[in-house]
Amino acid sequence: MREGIVFNIEELTVHDGDGVRVTVFMKGCPMRCSWCHNPEGLKAQPELLYKRARCVGCGECQKKCDHEDCKPFGRCLHVCPYDCLTVAGERYTSERLASKLNKYKRIFDACGGGVTFSGGEPLMQWEFIAEVIDRLDGINIAIETSGYAPMHIFKSAVDKLDHIYMDIKLFDAEAHKRHTGCDNAMIKENFLYLRLSGKPFTIRTPLISGITDTEENLSAIKEFIGDAHWEKLPENKLAGAKYDMLI
Amino acid sequence: MKNYNKLKEYILTKQHRALRRRVEDDLPALYSAEGLSAEERMTRRFEYLCAHETPVVLPDERIAFLRTLCDIPHIYTEEEFAALKSEKRLHELGFHSNVTPDYEKLLRHGLLYFCDCTDGYGARSIDALISLCDRYVTEAKRVGNDEVATTLERVSRYGATSFLEALQLFRVIHFALWLEGNYHVTVGRFDKYMYPYFKSDLDSGKLTLDEAAMLVEEFFLSFNRDSDLYPGVQQGDNGQSLVLGGKDENGCEIFNELSRLCLEASGRLMVIDPKINLRVSKDTPLEVYMLGTELTKKGLGFPQYTNDDVAIPALIELGYEPADAANYGMAACWELIVPGVGMDTANIDALSFAKIVDRALHEDLLSCETMEDFNSAIRAQINKEIELICRGTDGLWFIPSPFLRICMDENADGSYKYNNFGIHGTGACTAADSLAAIEKYIFDERSLTKEELIAAVDSDFCGSPELLHKLRYETAKVGQNDDYADKYLCMLLSFFADSLEGRRNCLDGIYRAGTGSAMFYLRHVEDLGASPDGRRRGESLGANFSVSLFAKTGGPLSVISSLTKPELHRTINGGPVTLEFASGIWSAEDSIEKFSKFIKSYIAMGGHQIQLNSVDLETLKRAQEHPEDYERLVVRIWGWSAYFTALDKCYQDHVMQRQIYSM
Repeated sequence: MREGIVFNIEELTVHDGDGVRVTVFMKGCPMRCSWCHNPEGLKAQPELLYKRARCVGCGECQKKCDHEDCKPFGRCLHVCPYDCLTVAGERYTSERLASKLNKYKRIFDACGGGVTFSGGEPLMQWEFIAEVIDRLDGINIAIETSGYAPMHIFKSAVDKLDHIYMDIKLFDAEAHKRHTGCDNAMIKENFLYLRLSGKPFTIRTPLISGITDTEENLSAIKEFIGDAHWEKLPENKLAGAKYDMLI
Repeated sequence: MKNYNKLKEYILTKQHRALRRRVEDDLPALYSAEGLSAEERMTRRFEYLCAHETPVVLPDERIAFLRTLCDIPHIYTEEEFAALKSEKRLHELGFHSNVTPDYEKLLRHGLLYFCDCTDGYGARSIDALISLCDRYVTEAKRVGNDEVATTLERVSRYGATSFLEALQLFRVIHFALWLEGNYHVTVGRFDKYMYPYFKSDLDSGKLTLDEAAMLVEEFFLSFNRDSDLYPGVQQGDNGQSLVLGGKDENGCEIFNELSRLCLEASGRLMVIDPKINLRVSKDTPLEVYMLGTELTKKGLGFPQYTNDDVAIPALIELGYEPADAANYGMAACWELIVPGVGMDTANIDALSFAKIVDRALHEDLLSCETMEDFNSAIRAQINKEIELICRGTDGLWFIPSPFLRICMDENADGSYKYNNFGIHGTGACTAADSLAAIEKYIFDERSLTKEELIAAVDSDFCGSPELLHKLRYETAKVGQNDDYADKYLCMLLSFFADSLEGRRNCLDGIYRAGTGSAMFYLRHVEDLGASPDGRRRGESLGANFSVSLFAKTGGPLSVISSLTKPELHRTINGGPVTLEFASGIWSAEDSIEKFSKFIKSYIAMGGHQIQLNSVDLETLKRAQEHPEDYERLVVRIWGWSAYFTALDKCYQDHVMQRQIYSM
């Protein structure tokens, strides 16, 4: 059975698909977008998050302990009286994650909704997600992806999912590389497959001031995607706080 | 031409308060000297107050009546009242509260109709009130507000023939009930009894929809004229709750155009009264939930939702007639009460679940071999406590209210149809989490001895940071959709319901179990130490039917999954799931739809009641520092919304804690 690493499971998320959604944030991303609003999703390995606002500086976490799970972090995770420390990145077997998600079925059945895989870049852990989906009990599944994945993985995902939210951030290859660290040729190819797949999908462009929101970029994207369903998302200003939480 | 905005500004900036004066006569001394009966005193005081009120008719108003006497003297001297309290079991202030008049009959008939069917006290009260109305008419003519003069001229005597008249008559009666000394006087099913007047005026062309919307808004504003004079635990706790929607006795949804106008008017007005309660069911269209969610988004802390699918069958099961059950409304907060016929005392006392666990921990745990033994001890402790609570209600007596009696529907012998007592249940989740911890560490893992746990709790976990962390943050909690803790919530509520089953109260009514907390989320920790779930001494319980303040829940979906597991139809007295959201959630354009579906899912899953608070923690912090800049900032407390800065600090802090932990 495969294992995956998840940095958050958030309930009642917005912008993540139809109805009441549960979004599973998969840890690890090949891109390094300068505006990333989920910095704790970048690295593939678990990281320590620290809620500064709650901390009273009691120093309990600095005392030596012999818990196995504290070792990588150099702090004790099991003493903070105010719960300031959490590890972003929990290992799940596909069975455990599926059984957790299947518990939401009662709610999804009541009014519609489903699970959305996001990240990080969920396609980095596609084989794991595919195994999870096979164990789900008829739940609507969406994904939010950068589209940056080898074609065979992308195809397999599109075929298995109910709705695909895919980013096209920058059309110009050079600019894409500069601002995300990755080439966009694979993304463009994947889009061409997606468009012909017959699956419901939405293309998204985060509007980043002076980077993606230029007239030139938006019209190039428009020309490329044609009449595909396209959402332009306003910049997420909340990212700053999360950077602060990474130790 | 009347300028409603001028009126609104005048009331909201409290300029009308300058017209108030104090009562000069020492009424209790006079009544005492004459040795008058309670009923005579109530009637005399009402006559006195009606005669001494100064009619005020504002130039821009269409609906009149404003309190000018700012204090209502007691009917008893202090010594007399102390003696009375030692002799009889009084509830709270001793006067009637938490009642919904039969507005349908009052609006239809006007007051004269009741002179024949009431006793001398009632007839005198009607006379006094009509005289006050007549003085208002004279004043209205004097200041040239002909509309108010015309409306008031006949409506108090003969009943309403138009929407405006119905609103004005309601205002007169509502005003009079408070003046008589009753409190937590509720509004009832407004869109049901008002609808015929509204519809008839619209159909005949007498009123346009826009004019009606304006009238509703002015009417809502009237609830905020005198409300600072009303008694309550805190400013805002005044019971002016209004019910919209829900099924009628034939099972048809009554939500109508007037209901919609009410929700919209409340959103425009942005004040705390009247508090809106929305009756819904799994059949209620999503659109209604969306209208409600628009109010939540604005930060009003209401509507509070109640599920007809749970409430109506449960009331029938408790012995309410089906037509009465279908007609339920709200007492001051969210306790179910039937307009006209319900003289229930829906908040007579409260069971502290956290206290029950604490007692069992100290008195029974050492002798328990298994978790089953401990569960039996919990049941026995609940039964013992309920026995005491019920005995404590014996001899309940209310100071009679002759005018209120006219507004209700008595039986032929002067008694009332429903005289049931409701008992709140506080801290059920703290207790359930504590039981989960006891099961896990004492009986299952055996990683902790009974003595160690008791000692840790008694020392408030001082010197046991690791145990504290484990109990608070690493143990199953209600709100995680984990049966390990949730099963105890189910157990506790069913023990509670069992303990009340079959009991009769001193008025030959029954007892109803509920999941409300009222102010007991603070009061019940005053004499309580730490809890086995890691709650430290002095930390509050959750408000109403909420998870523990520090529980790391899976999120709102897990919370409602956990909280819909118990047999909620057995604990329907009142007490909503109370959830906190940061106001930032509303920036997404699909948030209204998401939250509406969320509430609808909760209802479809068999939830009983729910209310949502949407506040911004930073704003609350700033408001504590600079209250003068945040006079109109609204938050939801337990069953009512309040102006944050008007609350005592302990209530402010609780709202902030709920918010901090929900982040």
